[in-house]
Amino acid sequence: MNSTNNTLEQLKAALSPLDAYIAADRQIAMTVNPGETMRALTFLRNEGFAQLSILTCIDWIRDNDFELVYILMNWEKGIHCQLRTRINRENPVFDTATDIFPGARYYEREVHEFFGIEFKGNEDSYKPLFLERWDSIPPLRKDFDPQAYSDSKFPMRDRDKIFKSRTGGADNE
Amino acid sequence: MNEVKLFLGPQHPGMHGNYSVHMYVDGDKINKARPTPGFLHRGFEKLMERRHWMGNLALIPRICVPEPDINEMVYAMGVEALAGIEIPEKAHWIRMLVLELARIAVHVMGLGFIGGPTGMYTATYWAIAQRDLLLDLFEELTGARIYHMFIVPGGVRKDLPEGFSQKVLEKLDELEEKIPEFEELILKHPVIHARTKDNILLPEDVVWELGVTGIGMRTATGKKYDLRKVKPYARYDQVEFEVPVAEYSDALTRLNTKVKEIYQSIGIVRQVLAKMPAEGDVRVPVSSGNALRWTVPEGMVYSAVESNRGEYGYFIVSDGREMPYRIAVRGASYPQGLLGVEKYLKGYRIDDASLWMDSMGVCTPEIDR
Repeated sequence: MNSTNNTLEQLKAALSPLDAYIAADRQIAMTVNPGETMRALTFLRNEGFAQLSILTCIDWIRDNDFELVYILMNWEKGIHCQLRTRINRENPVFDTATDIFPGARYYEREVHEFFGIEFKGNEDSYKPLFLERWDSIPPLRKDFDPQAYSDSKFPMRDRDKIFKSRTGGADNE
Repeated sequence: MNEVKLFLGPQHPGMHGNYSVHMYVDGDKINKARPTPGFLHRGFEKLMERRHWMGNLALIPRICVPEPDINEMVYAMGVEALAGIEIPEKAHWIRMLVLELARIAVHVMGLGFIGGPTGMYTATYWAIAQRDLLLDLFEELTGARIYHMFIVPGGVRKDLPEGFSQKVLEKLDELEEKIPEFEELILKHPVIHARTKDNILLPEDVVWELGVTGIGMRTATGKKYDLRKVKPYARYDQVEFEVPVAEYSDALTRLNTKVKEIYQSIGIVRQVLAKMPAEGDVRVPVSSGNALRWTVPEGMVYSAVESNRGEYGYFIVSDGREMPYRIAVRGASYPQGLLGVEKYLKGYRIDDASLWMDSMGVCTPEIDR
């Protein structure tokens, strides 16, 4: 816990984040301004957080925000760091992190597909990845209703009608 | 020469599920490869937002089919971190028992399934037989063979059945006798040796570029980067084990490392059974309320465990209600399965493509989710 504290203090001094705390055992959480994110990622990578474990997103629909979460791992110290930043939900455009972490390429493509966030500089991020011929709003947004989508795509069949036509119209009851 | 476009898959190119790679080949050399995931996309992350914390237990083991227990473990660890609860001592040890037995089972299977891409199915049959004997243990402990739903937030579902430890020890002795036969059959087989030695290389800079973890990372960097050592969870800091490393990462080294890890896991299971407290609770409630409907305090946490393929993690967000607000899954083989295929499969021959997938430990259900 001690080394986590030291690392936290060091990162606080260097990055002056909006918010920084210890989220769990050996895990630091920091929130920075969107404009500061790339600088913070570069700094963290040079400080030993050399691995991007995952890049993901949260849809805070009540605040009208998307929160991007970069989870980095420092294998020397055994500390994870969540770097978080919020961008406006109405204009979901952000910079790519592929120059700093090349491994972000497919994570950004996934976030684009599921949340509709554009990553400037990642030429692949517009291509579909997991969903084939998706024709609705990005599905992990909170205003996407899977039940309604499923009902419209796969309507319930009228069981009585099918049953009766197969049995020549005879009433089962 | 004409470039031809070929499809690998989508049916089981290596082993773990449906996946497709579009290969642009010239002769039998791959010039360009494009991963095409999505065949196993089941929308788990969205489904989890619509179910109670407890109800999700039925979903999550299905995210990684060959080694389901890690899903239960990361989920439980994350929920416990958010709720700030401490689970009973005995539950930690039972969890380790389950996780290590699962690691042995999946490594044995992975070892045997090298027979798929190299064309020696004897290894596969032998491996499946051995794995089945381990699954018998799981059946007795949890009631299920593959998806156990045994590690729950707050502990484990039940204590060990009577006489279970003895059965585990007997089975491990039996397995330990069998492993040299596997080594003889697989690692020393001239064809497999020729196909895997100095093939499917993984240099150290590629590890950092992609974010590869697990055996690939440890063999390429030579460092003991194992979450069980680097960031111990459960009671891994109280058992003694070695983390096998290597100076050079080709397919054969990674296969050899799997065998070494099986021996280490057998050692861990024996220590767990010896050190486990005899008495005590195995489960505490996460919060007050109905056993199936409870809330988790607001917060965000990333929990990670060492799976057989590397760092496997969940990022869990709670807004204080009965269902998760968001859960993101970090599949351990996501980096090599997508970016790795795109950048580093090229240059190999067509028949090495499925060997590449197998040897890099690509597990598609966790990539698609």
